[in-house]
Amino acid sequence: MNQTTVGVIGAGRIGKMHTENLVHHIPEAVVKAVASPHLDEGWAEGLGIPIRSTDNSAVFGDPGIEAVVITAPSGLHSELICQAAAVGKHIFCEKPVGFEDGPIEDAIAAAQAAGVQLQVGFNRRSDPSLLDLIEAVRAGHIGDVHTVRVTNRDPKAPPVDFVKRSGGLFFDFVIHDFDTVRFLSGSEIVEVYAVGGVLIDPEIGAAGDIDTAVVTLKLESGALAVIDNSRQAVYGYDQRFEVFGSGGSVAVNNTTPSTRIVSTTGGVVGSKPHDGFVTRYREAFVGELKSFLAAVRGDAPVVAGAGDALAAVRAAVAARESFNQNRPIQLADAVPVAGGGTEA
Amino acid sequence: MKTITVGVLGAGRIGRLHTDNLLRMPGVRVKSIADPYADFGPWPPKHIETGLEPSLVLDDPEIEAVLICSPTPTHADFTEAAATAGKHVFCEKPIDLDPERIRRTLEIVDAAGVKLQVGFNRRFDPTFSRVRQAVIDGDVGEIHIVKITSRDPEAPPVEYVQSSGGIFLDMTIHDFDMVRYLTASEVEEVHAMGAVLIDPAIGEAGDVDTAMTTLKMANGALAVIENSRQAVYGYDQRVEVFGSNGSAEAGNETANRVILSGADGVRADTPLYFFLERYQASFVAELEAFFACIRDDLEPPVGGRDGLMSVLVGLAAAQSMAENRPVKVEAS
Repeated sequence: MNQTTVGVIGAGRIGKMHTENLVHHIPEAVVKAVASPHLDEGWAEGLGIPIRSTDNSAVFGDPGIEAVVITAPSGLHSELICQAAAVGKHIFCEKPVGFEDGPIEDAIAAAQAAGVQLQVGFNRRSDPSLLDLIEAVRAGHIGDVHTVRVTNRDPKAPPVDFVKRSGGLFFDFVIHDFDTVRFLSGSEIVEVYAVGGVLIDPEIGAAGDIDTAVVTLKLESGALAVIDNSRQAVYGYDQRFEVFGSGGSVAVNNTTPSTRIVSTTGGVVGSKPHDGFVTRYREAFVGELKSFLAAVRGDAPVVAGAGDALAAVRAAVAARESFNQNRPIQLADAVPVAGGGTEA
Repeated sequence: MKTITVGVLGAGRIGRLHTDNLLRMPGVRVKSIADPYADFGPWPPKHIETGLEPSLVLDDPEIEAVLICSPTPTHADFTEAAATAGKHVFCEKPIDLDPERIRRTLEIVDAAGVKLQVGFNRRFDPTFSRVRQAVIDGDVGEIHIVKITSRDPEAPPVEYVQSSGGIFLDMTIHDFDMVRYLTASEVEEVHAMGAVLIDPAIGEAGDVDTAMTTLKMANGALAVIENSRQAVYGYDQRVEVFGSNGSAEAGNETANRVILSGADGVRADTPLYFFLERYQASFVAELEAFFACIRDDLEPPVGGRDGLMSVLVGLAAAQSMAENRPVKVEAS
């Protein structure tokens, strides 16, 4: 097999997950180096990664590394993309690529100028259930799309330190849903109305963020969409999707790690949904990296590219402005108009 | 049990439905039905008096309670006349589309000291009542998000749409009441977006057939209502209340619980076709509750103020969509 040599930048929770997937589940990849300021040396050694460093130059400076996986904190993403592009490495970057147009466009331009692939970590585009859903939409089973619905609730509110550097709920969390609406509808978001509240943890409010939100969207096709978000669903990671149209509807419900059902005099009790994104989207996280590596080999386009990254961030900017100003925001008003449509 | 003598105004679809339910209800006697347009044939049973004039019901001193099932523009007049005559009133929604008129009607009802219940039947649906009970029991905890899906099976004729008052006052009004019922909180602000995706004639009539309505509640919770005038697979009626302790969710009801698994997939029958089928039990339960309030001198579970609030929210939603901005709901 034609293997791609990969370096990982940032080995926090998601960085470790991607690295483990690359090592254990993706034979197309060889992880040569990992760099992270607080690197868990024992973990990296246990995976047999030869180069382990607290300095990113261990990855960027290694000519043997063809592709990088960027899983550093969100605020560093666009700059790290520019650095990787400058040394000619293909780039897989976690979402969001940035918090505003300028740095994202710089990063996209850098990748384009260097002629490297850039894929963003919109993992749901590689989820088997959502791929199945979109197949039903594309096959015309539900006719013209009228509404799209996304329920996205985390099992547990994150620590407030994370919230502070996350960029806020719309950039850190709802960004997946903006991308999912675009993905499922095949249409662009043109207007956003967002309401939100601090209903779970006052600390999140004190940090200037919200923990609960409902976002409604108008799409270019004329369809409407709604996203509901919570940072804490005590019963687990709640991920549900529905596309409704002139010919019917297609939905994806929660998946559970077990299908056990206990029936007693007290009621009928089934298993809870997965406890987080690592388990719910296990196949998707492997699938998105396999797709990325296929794109690096030139076999297929990336599944979520620069245009998708930009479109989702623009929706997040509009949502933040809508929430702050308490009025619907046209995407064209929220940010300067520039290129960047959907890939594929 | 003391028998209550009842008169019915309006013998259209809903009037006949209620009357048939009353005929099977112990402790209730239907004495007369009036409808100027009704073609009374084999229905109703012969022992019930029928006539074209509302005075048949309103002027009959033996009648203690009136069911108003006539067209919406007559609701306020009949409610006032019945109350003034000392009769308890069960009125189909909405009491009127003008909040000022509703307020005047409610003052007259108050002065007359009679009971008034408004026909928000979904509050009496066993499934939605169970969701409300889960909220009361604390299973949901503090409410954070309420989600309602309300889709009709078939778009109505455009003539109906023209006189309906618009989707928010005709259709979503039930959902506004459901949010108030499930949360026991008031709607403070509304934002509505709509689209014409099903029938261009609905758009030409000045209405929309698809809508997303976001509500901010006084208790801090958020709510969202998704409406469509046409879900080809049937009447899609789902609610979910999500909160600090978990969520309570009600799915669609089907005529049976059969699952057919074959080479092409796993298939169940479509949801019950429309409101007459889906909410059958609730139509009986709401009237049982109404008569219980008369007998035991209790406040009706869905009163005049509920009728007013849902109209105020509906008007705010219509204004929000027209002006494309969130609109505060006028206080009752």
